[in-house]
Amino acid sequence: MIVTKKKLDRRTFLRGVGVTIGLPVLDAMTPALVRAATKPPVRLMFFYLPNGIDMPNWNLDYQGKLGELPRILKPMEAHREDTLVLSNLTHNYGRALLDGAGDHGRCCASYLTGAHVKKTSTDIYVSGPQSMDQLIAGEIGQKTRLPSLEIGMEDPRQTGSCDSGYSCAYTNNLAWKSETQPMPPVLDPRLMFERLFGTSGDLSLAERLQQQRLRSSVLDFVRESTQKLTKELGTSDRRKLDEYLSAIRGIEQQMDRAAKDENPVDPGMGKPAGAPSDFGDHFKLLTDMVTIAFRSDLTRVGTFMITREGTSRAYREIGIADGHHPLTHHGGKVEQLAKVTQINEYHVKNFAAWVERLKQIPEGDGRLLDNLMLVYGASLNDGNRHIHDDLPTILVGQGGGTIKTGRRMVFRRETPFCNLHLSLMDRMGVQRESFGDSSGRLPGLDTV
Amino acid sequence: MQQEQPKVEAPKPEPPKPNARRTPPAILFDSDMGQNIDAALALAVLYNLGAKGKLSAVGVSRMSLEAAAFCDIMSRFYSGAGDLSSPQFQAPAPVGLPETGPAAPPTAMLTGLLGMKKPDGKPLFTHGVQETLDTADARVLYRNTLLTQNDLEGIVVLAGPATNLVRTLDMSGAKSVVTAKVGLLVVAAGAYPEGAPDPRIRADIESAKRLFATWPSPIVAVGIEAGEAAAYSGSRVDTDFAWSQAHPVAEAYRAFGKSPYDAPAQAALAAYYAGNPQESFFKLSEPGRIEVLDDGRTRFVPSATGKHRYLIVDATQKAKVVEAYAALASMKPAVPAPRGRPPQAAPAAVKPLAP
Repeated sequence: MIVTKKKLDRRTFLRGVGVTIGLPVLDAMTPALVRAATKPPVRLMFFYLPNGIDMPNWNLDYQGKLGELPRILKPMEAHREDTLVLSNLTHNYGRALLDGAGDHGRCCASYLTGAHVKKTSTDIYVSGPQSMDQLIAGEIGQKTRLPSLEIGMEDPRQTGSCDSGYSCAYTNNLAWKSETQPMPPVLDPRLMFERLFGTSGDLSLAERLQQQRLRSSVLDFVRESTQKLTKELGTSDRRKLDEYLSAIRGIEQQMDRAAKDENPVDPGMGKPAGAPSDFGDHFKLLTDMVTIAFRSDLTRVGTFMITREGTSRAYREIGIADGHHPLTHHGGKVEQLAKVTQINEYHVKNFAAWVERLKQIPEGDGRLLDNLMLVYGASLNDGNRHIHDDLPTILVGQGGGTIKTGRRMVFRRETPFCNLHLSLMDRMGVQRESFGDSSGRLPGLDTV
Repeated sequence: MQQEQPKVEAPKPEPPKPNARRTPPAILFDSDMGQNIDAALALAVLYNLGAKGKLSAVGVSRMSLEAAAFCDIMSRFYSGAGDLSSPQFQAPAPVGLPETGPAAPPTAMLTGLLGMKKPDGKPLFTHGVQETLDTADARVLYRNTLLTQNDLEGIVVLAGPATNLVRTLDMSGAKSVVTAKVGLLVVAAGAYPEGAPDPRIRADIESAKRLFATWPSPIVAVGIEAGEAAAYSGSRVDTDFAWSQAHPVAEAYRAFGKSPYDAPAQAALAAYYAGNPQESFFKLSEPGRIEVLDDGRTRFVPSATGKHRYLIVDATQKAKVVEAYAALASMKPAVPAPRGRPPQAAPAAVKPLAP
């Protein structure tokens, strides 16, 4: 006999004044015999690296099953079974195509839009009509509380010229809702937290101030709701819920520490309000929030700008006081190039640490990571020469069993990066004949 | 038996000017490389056009890694000014091959050339095409290359089946790029005003039909009869390419058949015309429409509104024509201007995983 009656609705929330907390998948939501037939949703997020990569320390000299990884990807060795390295993907629309200088502006704006953007610092225009994440959000976003998430770690500027006549809107955004409307990333962790859990927009100013004054934790506001729910849960679900709420509390504690952090990121550079000055702490705080968002199915698609394209951020955390962008134009100077490698490696190290945390999170009969597609990469190959082919790209997670990881796939030269977009859109349930300058789908992602 | 060629005055090709500011028109070359020696001669002509045209994309219309390897060798030869050890040498752009299709059998020209060794046993010519992954989908390569051009300045030279060009038109969004960017297509295939079927048409009759029916730009066709009228004389090879100890075109000529032999020059004429359409010794037919018949024959139908013409080699100008394209094909390339940035390293060779 198949038991189909659900004890608990999948869309159950913990509610309190100005607070709504989504829940992870609990056993009580899907009776055991139904669980096997109910697949968790697939989620997609892009992690964008600026200024290209030191490719000799990224590229593998073999294809097929992943073995030893080169220096920059070394931190991913522990996760190689969950990693797919993709080679030879090209973004032709990042190239000049008669528009002259401005590779940083073009490559970032074309990354998810697949468009050759208008060279301007005022009347921005991408001929998308929208980025692929927003296209997905437009089709499946109504299934989740947030259609999409846009996260960033640096520089909210949306006006002025940031690269040879290209607007800062091009270098500072990945997501575009329309030809003229970028979706600026949320930089402030507190704002992100409220976006995930709050309903403060519904409150009056007085109520909001009272909430802030009284609040020690959002968990306090949903205590009653939590206690009520706990009574309905079995032992396993109680443990899962407790661990989940502890993770939220952990995020709050990170934010509290960040609020007291008055260290600058770099002289002359703005630090997002409430953000830790340490890159690693900042990255961890934001990715922990992404974890919660994915676990509780608050959203299924998102973008994460590790820093803006063309950034000159320094990395004092690892002893580098020079700006990232100037370093990438090393002109072959070994000392400068070594610092670029170090920055590239540091980014991967932080990303790998998050993947490690993700691997521990169960979902359904497997892991959360089994249902994710995390694309980590840059829209420039070599930042020194501004090369737009063989873009450094890895994909982590199995996309609900539709991606065979643990290997390196090399495609034919000049294969459009937009072919990856089409392939990922398929897996998100969004079918299109073409996207951007795609020439088809990437063959063999699901077969070895 | 070879006849001695009369000495004729032909226009001297201008040596390329590496520092010239004017951007030459981009030329795309798609051929059945290896099936005839004329495609190799054509490629050499195109590399030496200088300010009259920049060879920007090279593709092979049949699935042949050997043909792609030959094109890669030519690219390395000309970009390195004949010297692969030159510090100016840069890794070449990828060669285009069809998106899909059965592998074409290698020919003596290709296997012979690729098998040539130096005294130390190493290959005489090095290339970077080991597998299909080392090539590009020709459709994508052509579309991307045309996007770098000013409107209507692109020139396409076809000396093979029309497979790649028709597939380019079929790719999403690419037809509008072709329409906007290509000013002229020169097709070295067919016989005009009519004649026997050309193997280049017969290899893909449906694509040839669609090409002549739907290609957006004007077309100039160079028929078998023109290629035969201005054939390349085998007696020239040893002297024309003597400046190079190992020139890939000369070696390909020798590998193709028992030397010396006269080679019909349909593709070489098309290449020369692409860079020199104003040349006085070329005559064009009246405008009209080229039709492809079911058996692979072509037929020219005059029409005042037609976008097609075919090239006519005047018997009295034949020697001049041959001298012109042969001189260009065998010209020593100019040394590229030094670049400000370090030379690009060749992509790391991909090898199967050991562990």
